[in-house]
Amino acid sequence: MAGVFSPTANIVTKLVLYGLLGGLVTLAGGAWFFPSTTYATGEGIVQPQPVPFSHEHHVGGLGLDCRYCHTSVEVSATAGLPPTHTCMTCHSQIWTNAGLLAPVRQSLATGKPIRWNRVNTLPDYVFFNHGIHVAKGVACTTCHGPVDRMPLTWKGASLRMSWCLDCHRDPAPNLRPKEAVFDTDWKRTAATPSGEQLMTRYHIHPETLSDCSVCHR
Amino acid sequence: MTTRREDLARRIEGRLAGKSGRALWRSLDELSREPAVLETLRTEFPGLPDLAEARVGRRRLLELMGASFALAGLSGCAPAEAPGEAIPYVTMPPGLVPGVARHFATAVTRGGYADGVLAIHQMGRPVQLEGNPDHPASLGALDPIIQASILDLYDPDRSRTMLTAGRVASANGMVKALFDRLPALTARGGDGLRLLTGTVTSPTLARQIGALKRRFPAMRWHRWEADGRDAVRTGAVLAFGRPVDAVLHLDQAKVILAVESDVLDSAPGHLRYARDFARRRRAPEEGRPEEMSRLYAVESMPTLAGARADHRFAAGPDGVEAVVRALAAELGAGPAEWRQGAPGWLAAVVRDLSANRGAALVHAGPAQSPAVHALVHAINEALGAPGRTVSYIEPVEADPVDHGESLKGLAADMAAGRVDTLLILGGNPAFTAPADLDFARTLGKVPFSIHLGSAVDETAVLCTWHIPEAHELERWGDARAFNGTVTIQQPQTRPLWGGWSPHELLAVFDGETRPDGYAILRATWMESFQGKGDAEQQWTDALRLGVVADSAAAPASVSLLPDLATRLPAAPARPDGGTLTALFRPDPWLRDGRYANLGWLQELPRPFTTLTWDNALLMAPATAERLGLQNEDVVEVRTTTGHLRAPVWRVTGHAPDCVTLPFGFGRKVVGRVGRGVGFDAFRLRPLDHLWRLPGVELRKTGETYRLAATQHHQMIDSPDVVRHATLDEFRHDPGFAKRKEPSQSLYPDHDYPRNAWGMAINLNSCIGCSACTAACQGENNIAVVGKDEVLRNRQMHWIRVDTWYEGEAEAPDQTYFQPMPCMHCENAPCEVVCPVGATMHDTDGLNVMVYNRCVGTRFCSNNCPYKVRRFNYFNYAGDDNRLSQSWNPDVSVRARGVMEKCTYCIQRIREARIAADRESRPIRDGEVKTACQQACPAEAIVFGDLNDPDSAVSHRKASPLDYGVLTELNTKPRTTFEARLRNPNPDIQEA
Repeated sequence: MAGVFSPTANIVTKLVLYGLLGGLVTLAGGAWFFPSTTYATGEGIVQPQPVPFSHEHHVGGLGLDCRYCHTSVEVSATAGLPPTHTCMTCHSQIWTNAGLLAPVRQSLATGKPIRWNRVNTLPDYVFFNHGIHVAKGVACTTCHGPVDRMPLTWKGASLRMSWCLDCHRDPAPNLRPKEAVFDTDWKRTAATPSGEQLMTRYHIHPETLSDCSVCHR
Repeated sequence: MTTRREDLARRIEGRLAGKSGRALWRSLDELSREPAVLETLRTEFPGLPDLAEARVGRRRLLELMGASFALAGLSGCAPAEAPGEAIPYVTMPPGLVPGVARHFATAVTRGGYADGVLAIHQMGRPVQLEGNPDHPASLGALDPIIQASILDLYDPDRSRTMLTAGRVASANGMVKALFDRLPALTARGGDGLRLLTGTVTSPTLARQIGALKRRFPAMRWHRWEADGRDAVRTGAVLAFGRPVDAVLHLDQAKVILAVESDVLDSAPGHLRYARDFARRRRAPEEGRPEEMSRLYAVESMPTLAGARADHRFAAGPDGVEAVVRALAAELGAGPAEWRQGAPGWLAAVVRDLSANRGAALVHAGPAQSPAVHALVHAINEALGAPGRTVSYIEPVEADPVDHGESLKGLAADMAAGRVDTLLILGGNPAFTAPADLDFARTLGKVPFSIHLGSAVDETAVLCTWHIPEAHELERWGDARAFNGTVTIQQPQTRPLWGGWSPHELLAVFDGETRPDGYAILRATWMESFQGKGDAEQQWTDALRLGVVADSAAAPASVSLLPDLATRLPAAPARPDGGTLTALFRPDPWLRDGRYANLGWLQELPRPFTTLTWDNALLMAPATAERLGLQNEDVVEVRTTTGHLRAPVWRVTGHAPDCVTLPFGFGRKVVGRVGRGVGFDAFRLRPLDHLWRLPGVELRKTGETYRLAATQHHQMIDSPDVVRHATLDEFRHDPGFAKRKEPSQSLYPDHDYPRNAWGMAINLNSCIGCSACTAACQGENNIAVVGKDEVLRNRQMHWIRVDTWYEGEAEAPDQTYFQPMPCMHCENAPCEVVCPVGATMHDTDGLNVMVYNRCVGTRFCSNNCPYKVRRFNYFNYAGDDNRLSQSWNPDVSVRARGVMEKCTYCIQRIREARIAADRESRPIRDGEVKTACQQACPAEAIVFGDLNDPDSAVSHRKASPLDYGVLTELNTKPRTTFEARLRNPNPDIQEA
């Protein structure tokens, strides 16, 4: 009696088995690594905005300080978005007829705010505070990326918990003197105090920074 | 496990046997060692077996599981969601910093009397209320009702539109309808025009009504407050010939007799009185034992003052009055024959009061007769109290009248057709009016009636017009506190649903179509400030501070009229043996029913009964036994005024042969929360017997009705939880509350290099008012779960107030209140059993709960000996229909399947931590106040850093009275208690 399975059946069986195994490993690996991809975190992704506001032009080019618009960054949990009036301090004088700025003028005329699309967001159970980071020498660009070179604003970091913890466990590499936190061109020089020195100066104790209650309430 | 716990209990009992420990119990069932109750002690989740009826079939379960797995797989593949919108201001309001809370002073009234509050704003919206420390009635504390007014502001069931005959109408329509009536009214001099209000203390409203009266001389102004103080007022008129208000000085009082007094529960100024009282009760542990006050109480229905009394005597209403008359006679303020039949203990009380002339005080509650109040004035005079422990001021209420007579006059005129135009400014008289006035029916006869109310209620549906009333937190107004101090109420938000204030409604009579409440109010005060310096500056200061400077009422110089004894109405006859007397009392939280739609208040356990979501016919255990009644038996209550059905609840310490009917429940036309809750006792309340009605008959119906009482929930299985002693015992053995504590542990010790947060709760201060529970609920976004879930032991309060009794079931010698939050154990039993690390120990020793890690095993709750953990069995918070902007944005709103518990207000600690770290300084003592501490009127709760030997909490914990609960388990609780001291009169033999 001829064999039920042809000789190629062995190959097929092996291929199917290995394929299944490989597929499972790929799936598991995918499930593990997917959340950290920029596709999932949105890192580096630009959100469409009602006004194509350019940080590159305003910060990098004109040299506006971050705090000119984000006024509460030093004292509050939120950095604050500029009210329409802040835009109009300049734009009531220059580019007064630019089509791009029509939504800004309209907002002032109608009293309805500009609805920006968020670039950065955190889950509701995370309580982030800008003020304390700025006070301890964590610069804007450390988390938000090279804002002065962003023609349209993209998300500068993944904002995943592991990313937060990397710094909370070892803040030294990410610290700079307080005076320089709003400086987008800042570079570490030989004269810059080391991260460890800054930690002492600013009373930063990493052993307390990974308490759950630091961020979750 | 059980054997270990039993073993432990035996060991503790054995140890107690040698000490002064007398058995404490929490309920009558526990006292009688009811097997079902003992079983709940051993069951962690007694509500679980009830779920059998909600079983999901196998097939359905598999379907649901399959669906959830499939959906979980799908959601895993989604790209990052567009993270929503960010919407800035167009113009930033001046002074606003996004994300930083701001405080604005204003006041919220209760029965017309103001309590000063600070409204906490987040991004321009009020999210919470705290007491205003600069306000004399609040001193920074708040009671549950005022705290819940923020929930009332955001109540989605408030009325949103004008109604006429049940149809939506416009404001223009209302103004026109009113204008149309003005010529005829003016021609008649205002004849037929009537105004009905509650207690008015607002100077502006009084000014407006005065002006209206001058314009319409024949207009009449009626007053009705169902939970009012008619007897107090009439008593003062009897004693002094004119109405005056009494302001108490409990800080000066060494010996106090409380005659069913509301001094700690609800009297105007009760928060201040509680603070003054508590300070003197803490004196012994602060080294001044001679300053400790002694409190006697005689009452029918237990009050908080009675629970805190060193000697409490239960007596029916006639007995209470007999005691007061006998006391008056003993002190020479009444004829000698009043002494007959006085109880034996009175002689000792009289001696004590007389021995402390000038430091003695008697106070009676509003449910006592005018005669009792008049006699109390005479007794206080005889005790040298005026000018020392009590002072008299001109009445705070504008144009005080007898509310009962006033409403009776209105009802009679309405029935006779003499009322043509009726304005009801707030209140719900169709529900709260005495049953025999038939108010609701006659109201329907009035041709033109306007109801200004915050919700569509029983009165609104009977009036020709209903106008949505602006909440006190969204309108300009003013109100006076117990001592007359004025607060200008500033709106905390624009009216959410376009409501009107009473000031604006009255201004329509002046021909204004869109009156401006701000202008009306400013007119009053600019005139008043004129000639006293810079008026604008005074106005600004008054708004900022929340009090108008020097606005307290002028002292009244009064003298007792002669022949008081002969002018008094006769004493009530002692009812024949066996006849029952009905006592009408307001529900402690719903008062006259106006707060019935507030879930926080419905679910807050009432003192003594621990009932939630229902009222019940309350009676003494002996009375229940005589009538063969058990808890939850439904009886038919029959009086001369009518009949209703009510479930029975036995109350320890209730006077025998009378039954209490709490009113405020049974609302018919009310929002979603208050619908179908309880029975309406107003239906039986007649005008001439507002507080007690003799001759009530009970008939057992054989039915039962389940009541959601929390007294058996979260029970601690130990007899040594509350520790107490008399002042003498304390003098001999100051460390009586200390026990030997184990020190060995399998786990390594923690190190607390920075702060070590701890809490001390002083049982000598705690008056059991539940302000802490309510404050915690507001601050921490604690969900309301509803009656069914409370019945399953699932109420979510993070801090509960346990009530313990000692002595006989009928007349407990002592009642002890014990607030129980999380103990934040240093060796926390919950932490070591969590499989996912969702409950963790942090650097400062806080036992923190990480909601986003919790998978809901409930192991932690099972292992918590204090029973302070709460589990979200359902999506309680998500299912709540309250407006989303009313939640506190600094605290996570918990989802289904997550454990939660007291966090020591971690959000407040972190806020202070960040502020301190920004300035590179340590957190100052007192910089962090937990919500419960903030609200406590008696300063019972102190929170702070144990690493700082000079902190307030370290000083409290250094008290010899300091002890931890269940420390024999070596949990090392961070929350400790100061044992309660009593100051009994050695001349009175305890039963």
